[in-house]
Amino acid sequence: MTDTDDLPLKGVRVFELGIAIASPFCGKLMAHFGADVLKIESRMSPDVVRILGSAWLKDREDLAPISSDTSPYVSEMNASKRSVGLELKTEEGKAAALQLLAECDVFLANFGARALAELGFDYDSVAAVNPNIVYVQLPGFGSDETMPYYPFVAWGPNQAPLVGMDDFTGHADDPPAGIATIAPPDYMSALHAAIATITGLEQRDTTGEGVHVDISQFETTLALLGPFVMDYDLTGTVYSRIGNRSIWGAPQGVYPCTGNERWIAISATEAEDWTTLRSLVGQAVDPEFDDASIRNADQDRLDEQIAAWTSSFEVEDLAHRLQTAGIAAHVVSTNEDLLHDTHVTSREWYQVAPSNRLGRDVFSGCAVKLSATPGRWTEAGPSMGQHTREILSDVVGLSDEAIDHLISAGGAFEQIEPGMVATRPWNDWIHLLVPGTEDARDL
Amino acid sequence: MAGPYSGIRVVDTTGLSGAYATRLLAGLGAEVIRLESPDGSPLRRLSPFAENIEAPENSLWWSYLAMGSHSVVIDPQDTESLMQLLATADVVFEDQLPEKSVLPAGEISPTTIRTKILPFGSSGPKRNWHTSNLVAWAASGILYTTGFTNRAPVAPAAPLQLAYHASAASALVGTLLALRSRRMTGRGQEVEISMQEVTLSIAPETGVPMFMDDRVHRERTGNRRDLGRPFGLYPCKDGFVSIIVLMPRHWTAMAQWVSEATGNESITEEVFVDNAVRVEAKDLIDDWVEELTTQGTRLELFEEGQRRGIPITPVNTIDALVGNPHLEAADFWTTTHLQDDTEVTIPGAPFRSSSPWWSMAPAPRLGEHTHMYLS
Repeated sequence: MTDTDDLPLKGVRVFELGIAIASPFCGKLMAHFGADVLKIESRMSPDVVRILGSAWLKDREDLAPISSDTSPYVSEMNASKRSVGLELKTEEGKAAALQLLAECDVFLANFGARALAELGFDYDSVAAVNPNIVYVQLPGFGSDETMPYYPFVAWGPNQAPLVGMDDFTGHADDPPAGIATIAPPDYMSALHAAIATITGLEQRDTTGEGVHVDISQFETTLALLGPFVMDYDLTGTVYSRIGNRSIWGAPQGVYPCTGNERWIAISATEAEDWTTLRSLVGQAVDPEFDDASIRNADQDRLDEQIAAWTSSFEVEDLAHRLQTAGIAAHVVSTNEDLLHDTHVTSREWYQVAPSNRLGRDVFSGCAVKLSATPGRWTEAGPSMGQHTREILSDVVGLSDEAIDHLISAGGAFEQIEPGMVATRPWNDWIHLLVPGTEDARDL
Repeated sequence: MAGPYSGIRVVDTTGLSGAYATRLLAGLGAEVIRLESPDGSPLRRLSPFAENIEAPENSLWWSYLAMGSHSVVIDPQDTESLMQLLATADVVFEDQLPEKSVLPAGEISPTTIRTKILPFGSSGPKRNWHTSNLVAWAASGILYTTGFTNRAPVAPAAPLQLAYHASAASALVGTLLALRSRRMTGRGQEVEISMQEVTLSIAPETGVPMFMDDRVHRERTGNRRDLGRPFGLYPCKDGFVSIIVLMPRHWTAMAQWVSEATGNESITEEVFVDNAVRVEAKDLIDDWVEELTTQGTRLELFEEGQRRGIPITPVNTIDALVGNPHLEAADFWTTTHLQDDTEVTIPGAPFRSSSPWWSMAPAPRLGEHTHMYLS
């Protein structure tokens, strides 16, 4: 349907065993840049995005059968992928998966290393059917079964504290706030997986040799801690949380503005920033703070005075004033703010693409933009098992009869209730958020 | 052994926004040149600093992020030398808008890949806006939802500068795609990264597509969440542990552990297997769980809890990580040398590959390689 001839990953087929974020986020990037990413799915142990469902679906018992296709995460993490329903715990499903793997270029998985080995999809097993495969796995603690934490489980919000991120989050006098709502290790691991996958493909294409890359999420995320590890080794200093302050200068913080829970983030840590800020705050801040050493030494008092100044401004207005003067600042944006952020929408960050189940769906775009070979979205997230038959037929070469047999034996499944469709609550006004969306109805 | 990107020459003109990307490129074998002004890269001014070494060679940020690279100093007025260097580059990393950059706005050569990491991107109403790690998180929706309700919102892991590193890693993904594309077509191109979009891409859990679907305003929830119980951070002898129990089998193991350790017989009652009941009785559940966690250290609770199959992790600090038994057994930590030859511990390779991909030399002195490239 869409021309992928110029895309950097044209002709690359990815076999993805992904759950939640770390592997799916990487697979979505690959799909955007032209790879044919096959999301291998199971009803026996589904990806968490298939369990979450959708808020508005709760009172719609008539739509319950298709709940697995309605979580916004389905498109958020899996846009432009194809979904293949294969039960790897069955003999038939596993055999079909290995046949499919023989036709793939990349194996990508974030199952636990032990779970992956028990399924029979560890590197050696996969390389046995496809010796030149680029095999990239993202287990929590690596795939070496002799290591102490090999069988341990950690996911999402559990990984961040493990690698020191929660201790680094919060105000200095408070307990650690924790990173309750996001999981940076998942995303950082996903980006490293993309780097490893492309590197592996280049190696394979130029030397003919495949590769096994083991991304221990524990280790990968720790690579971001370099300077703090070095300082600890040299001096014994244990860095911890410092709120929103900078270790390199003051002021930097989050300050109140008029209204309930309206906050502004300001970074003015360089000497020239202070000169500019002084011209805006005037007498609201003591003259002694013109001395950088006093700004750094007495940040509590400095922040109090800045907060007293910011609290009489409307937040958007203040952000514009500060940025116009050359100081880094932004509204501490809520969802409501982002929904109306004309900068974000002018760059077409939110994407709309056709959805088999929902007519169309919205998801975040790709932060990686290439001028000559821009990526594209062929579709939103797939229904569970939407492409099972076409892939088993076109890629593996199974006959319709063989596919029917595989399905009746429980080794594969197709999407449930193919004719059942629903629309999201925003369907009638989405064009207000994503310009040009009217056209997408017809796609 | 030469890495997979040996033969690729990279000129990095950025500071913190691109440094993690070019560090990885150097580790993967590329020839990375850091273009510095006569007073040095902005990275050299970032504390913490090593004692006994004079500026500008004492920054630990520089010593870590500039590993494996070459340092070339060019005076900003010296356009000729700049063009001489850029002409040989396969990839140029930049962090300025064209009108503010010392680099040429037009094409350097048809094969050059230019990777631009910008605060808000090259287009849109905020294209001229400035940023920082904090400001990037503010613009993503994440900052607002992180922290305690009675306190100002806080940035995630602020000292780590994650918004910069995530932007750099995204920029590297784009750069490697562009290199692959160039190998096939012979043409270079531009890679653009908006730091705001990078933080937005990490923010879907608080993001607009979710919000449009459920229309629930997100608020800060401190270090526990009412999705389940126990769920969040719990105090122990030497800090905190993180426990996330949603699934029945995790709860059964958790209740059994609390019961064995504290003699609590009520916690194993059938009624608490229902997550909704536990959330309803969250104060009681939290008290019971804390009776267990306050008896042990982070490491003890982590290893015993995991042995029992419970998703529990320590809220680690640097000292605990450097001494962690798994990382030690896995031989993760490695070392580099500072300019006075002091050997210092650093994290090892970010991933392990069956092909010999990774190697890293120490960071260069200011201008150490200027003559090599400009003679």
